[in-house]
Amino acid sequence: MKGIFKRALGVVLVALLALPALVVAQSPSKSGEIVLKWPCIWVGKDSKAQAVAEIVESFNTANAGKIRVEIEPQPDYNAYEQKVRTSLAAGVAPGDIFTIKLNATTKEYYQSKLLMEFSKELSGAWKSSFDAGALAQSTVDGKLKTLPFETAILPIWYNMDALRKAGVAAPPATMAEFWTALDKLKASGVYPMSQMTGDVNAWTSMIWFSHFAVSLGGQKVWEKPFTDKAFVESAKLMQRIFKDYTTPDAVGAGAGVSGGHFLAGRTAVFANGPWYAGRADLRATPFFPSVTIAAAPSAGPNKGIMISRLQANIAAGETTDKARRAAIINFLKYLTAPENVAKIAKSSGAMFAVKTNYLPEDALQKQFYTIAAASKTTATDLEAALGAEATLEFAQQLGALVLGQITPESFCAAVERKIDR
Amino acid sequence: MRKRRNPNAVKIALFLTPVLVLFTAFFVYPFVFTFVASLTRWRGIGAMRFIGFANFGKLLGDPTFRLAIRNNVIWALASGFVQVPLAALVALILAREPRGWKALRTIYFLPNVISTVALAMVWSALYNPQYGAFNAIRGLIGLAPRNYLGDPATALVSVIIQGVLYIGYFMIIILAAAMSIPRELYEAAEIDGATTLQQEFRITIPMLRGTLVTAITLAMAYGMRHFESTYLMTGGGPAYATTTMGIDLFNKMDALRYSEASAAGVILILLGTLVIVGIRKALGKGDPMAEAGQ
Repeated sequence: MKGIFKRALGVVLVALLALPALVVAQSPSKSGEIVLKWPCIWVGKDSKAQAVAEIVESFNTANAGKIRVEIEPQPDYNAYEQKVRTSLAAGVAPGDIFTIKLNATTKEYYQSKLLMEFSKELSGAWKSSFDAGALAQSTVDGKLKTLPFETAILPIWYNMDALRKAGVAAPPATMAEFWTALDKLKASGVYPMSQMTGDVNAWTSMIWFSHFAVSLGGQKVWEKPFTDKAFVESAKLMQRIFKDYTTPDAVGAGAGVSGGHFLAGRTAVFANGPWYAGRADLRATPFFPSVTIAAAPSAGPNKGIMISRLQANIAAGETTDKARRAAIINFLKYLTAPENVAKIAKSSGAMFAVKTNYLPEDALQKQFYTIAAASKTTATDLEAALGAEATLEFAQQLGALVLGQITPESFCAAVERKIDR
Repeated sequence: MRKRRNPNAVKIALFLTPVLVLFTAFFVYPFVFTFVASLTRWRGIGAMRFIGFANFGKLLGDPTFRLAIRNNVIWALASGFVQVPLAALVALILAREPRGWKALRTIYFLPNVISTVALAMVWSALYNPQYGAFNAIRGLIGLAPRNYLGDPATALVSVIIQGVLYIGYFMIIILAAAMSIPRELYEAAEIDGATTLQQEFRITIPMLRGTLVTAITLAMAYGMRHFESTYLMTGGGPAYATTTMGIDLFNKMDALRYSEASAAGVILILLGTLVIVGIRKALGKGDPMAEAGQ
């Protein structure tokens, strides 16, 4: 009796220990059907969710019995990025298909053998459907391990109702006009600009700084040491803005606070990407019809450069199974087909690295396309160019800079120390 | 002479095995892995390259990490010597069972069942320079508003205040111990003419010594690994004024500096152990934990 008890207990223990292995095993599929897992951020309330779900559904219908793409919902962006990071560190691809926000830090992922290389397959019409610049930005050491997909320009947003009320007829194009507009806004009783030093990137302020730095130092300014005059001058401009033209809570504020001030009409000038245009709370504001998007005023000799970034690149898990590889490529070609990309763009207002004939009907979304087309060229923002550690240092030291605790020179030296060249 | 085998050896082994397996899998293995990773250059991708103790040298030479250690020590001291005494004071009052003491006990404990995220959001709003309650009070007495969380001079104190005010957890531990002290001792003291204050100092506090040492040890250990509310309220800023070792470690992971993050983790564990051992050595007499270890 005692022996039976011991053996039974042993079996239970072994079963308990083996449970995780059973859980992580691949889900069963119909005979011969290749199932591709896609941990996806474009789910739930995301503006791209419905269009992406429809595209996957139509692909599955067209390939019934052969290939099936299964979306694994990952609605939390930060958690998703952590999942990708930890999966790759643990030696497991996060899925058959997944997305990466490609920047100086995440380019490290290209060293992983877990990512599929697309150079062989990406040719002919498929290759020419992508923006050449975005493809170049996605190529590291001659390897193309992610496909550029969602892109964004990061222009300046103006609440023109507030500007007109203050006596400013149009978005400022020069720095002189810019300071005058801010003074007039201040005199009219609103805080002119939304700024912030919180979160890991001081997002809104980082966009402003990027505009100033690129305008002062040119498209390739990020290749220069951060102690360069262009960065020091940009830091001085940020000091002035924080001192005279933003809300009292800007030091320490996060993106929610910064955006919240603009939405509430407490500030009239803001910086963000096209995804903000789809927000219901923005569309519900009384000043929404007046919202105007424009390039930042030129702080230096380099005019017409728009700040842009790769917002989401598509990656795939490497496989030695030829059929599986072909299935992945097949799906990616379908997903990135111009008509499907146009469908996502239409529903979300987002911008893409795939060339389409789509032109938005929505007035605000249309402005983004117009501004992007009017730009002479683009340059990446500080975060995309210099990576997570330098950006965190930028955000942290920006607080000390604008409070006058450090000089612009020492601010720039602090960021320079964190740049991994 | 042959040693007699414990007749319960198999049962003991069976009962201990699951915990041992879990402890090995979720503490011993990660700790060994973290230590090994801390001796390498590794960004989470590709092979690890052994570099000895270079990561530790780099960390200890980094002003941000040194600031994080300082802040953690401040957190530990505030938790151990402000939060626990506050909890003890309330527990001693409630142990006298004044009217409504059960309701007060629940009210004080309530924040412990509320999410840290929600509490951090509430405190961020309270501290807000434009519409926060604290600045409204300043306004009433004619003072200019302050950006408590945005000013490096006040940010650390502000986040610590919101942390140490939640005394419920330690209050419950101390209250439970205080209420188990035999009533006869107080009755005898009363007959001898001892005042309430004398009873607390001569009976309650000496009888609670072990519990208080345990509470201080736990509070300081929490202080040494503090992360959540500060990360949510300030992200460690401004200018790293509120950063902690946990936040620094998290940021290093975010920047794919896994080996440096591992070294930070090892230092965090070592310093945490040092604080616990130090406190038990300094105050340990009468502490059941310390006595159990002797």
